[in-house]
Amino acid sequence: MIEKRRGKLEIIADILRSIQNKGGKIKPTHLLYKSNLSHAKLKEYMETLLGRGMIEEKDVNGRKMIFMKEQGHKFLSEFDRIKEFSDSFGL
Amino acid sequence: MVLENLPYGPRSYVFSPKWFYGFDSIIELIAVVVCILLVYYSYKCFKLTKEKKYLYFSTAFLSLTVAFIAKITGTLAIYKPEITRTAIGSTIHKTFASMTPYSINAIALVLHFLFMLLGFMVLFLIISRLTWKNQRVIALLAYFVLIATWISVIHYQLFYATTFALLLLITYSYYQNYKEIKDEKARFVAIAFGILLASQGFFIFAIYSSTMYVLAELIQLLGFVYLLIPFILIFKRKPKRAAK
Repeated sequence: MIEKRRGKLEIIADILRSIQNKGGKIKPTHLLYKSNLSHAKLKEYMETLLGRGMIEEKDVNGRKMIFMKEQGHKFLSEFDRIKEFSDSFGL
Repeated sequence: MVLENLPYGPRSYVFSPKWFYGFDSIIELIAVVVCILLVYYSYKCFKLTKEKKYLYFSTAFLSLTVAFIAKITGTLAIYKPEITRTAIGSTIHKTFASMTPYSINAIALVLHFLFMLLGFMVLFLIISRLTWKNQRVIALLAYFVLIATWISVIHYQLFYATTFALLLLITYSYYQNYKEIKDEKARFVAIAFGILLASQGFFIFAIYSSTMYVLAELIQLLGFVYLLIPFILIFKRKPKRAAK
């Protein structure tokens, strides 16, 4: 079966969900693997998410880690709600 | 008034028994509230996602909202003619000096027919995955909506027969949707449209018995309550949070 191409919002939700599933923090390399995006594309999305205050980058023991912020949780919650609405009403 | 002098059909579209006057308006007011909630949330989804399907869904329920408001206005003009003597009512009355409660009722009911059919048609288009690219199909359906509205003025039963046919297709699509995603909320939506379908079936025979009208209204109320349940369930759900 041919999978439908993900929209911009779905990609953002997938990135945030990957972080959420890892307990709210993830290594950039793991995120690249989980998000199923090219390095360039992921960088582009990361800039958007950082700019919107959904995630933040921090150094933990000399290693870069990505953390999900409150805005990210809010977005994901709203996105899930819209998805549920869309599925229930056959949209 | 042309609508009052039609050679066929009832003089007014009031089928309610006297003791039920106003109760049907309350039921339709509940339908308006449910429709407005769906209009508001789907429009919010459209603003957030920019996906047109939410805008169309919002339009469909906005059309149903207008349809129910028109029916409430039309029936209240008959149930409570003194409304025309209130501040707002008298202003409207002065503007349309020649209008009697019966002509208000007739015009309101034509608007009810048109917007109800339009609403269900748009809903049918959305769940059938038809887009504005299918212009010829949409144009044909819009033509049928206008024809159905026109003939419904003379033979009101055609209106309910058409809404019954549209709801039959909509219910079937929602049943397929439920079978596909196996979700409780989708089940409620399918049941809600199934109940609304049954109500339209009873409305067809309202001309023969006022009991049929009462039953149709009560079933319709149940249908809108069922339509509200999945909406409440979506908002009751607590957001998932990351494990600390």
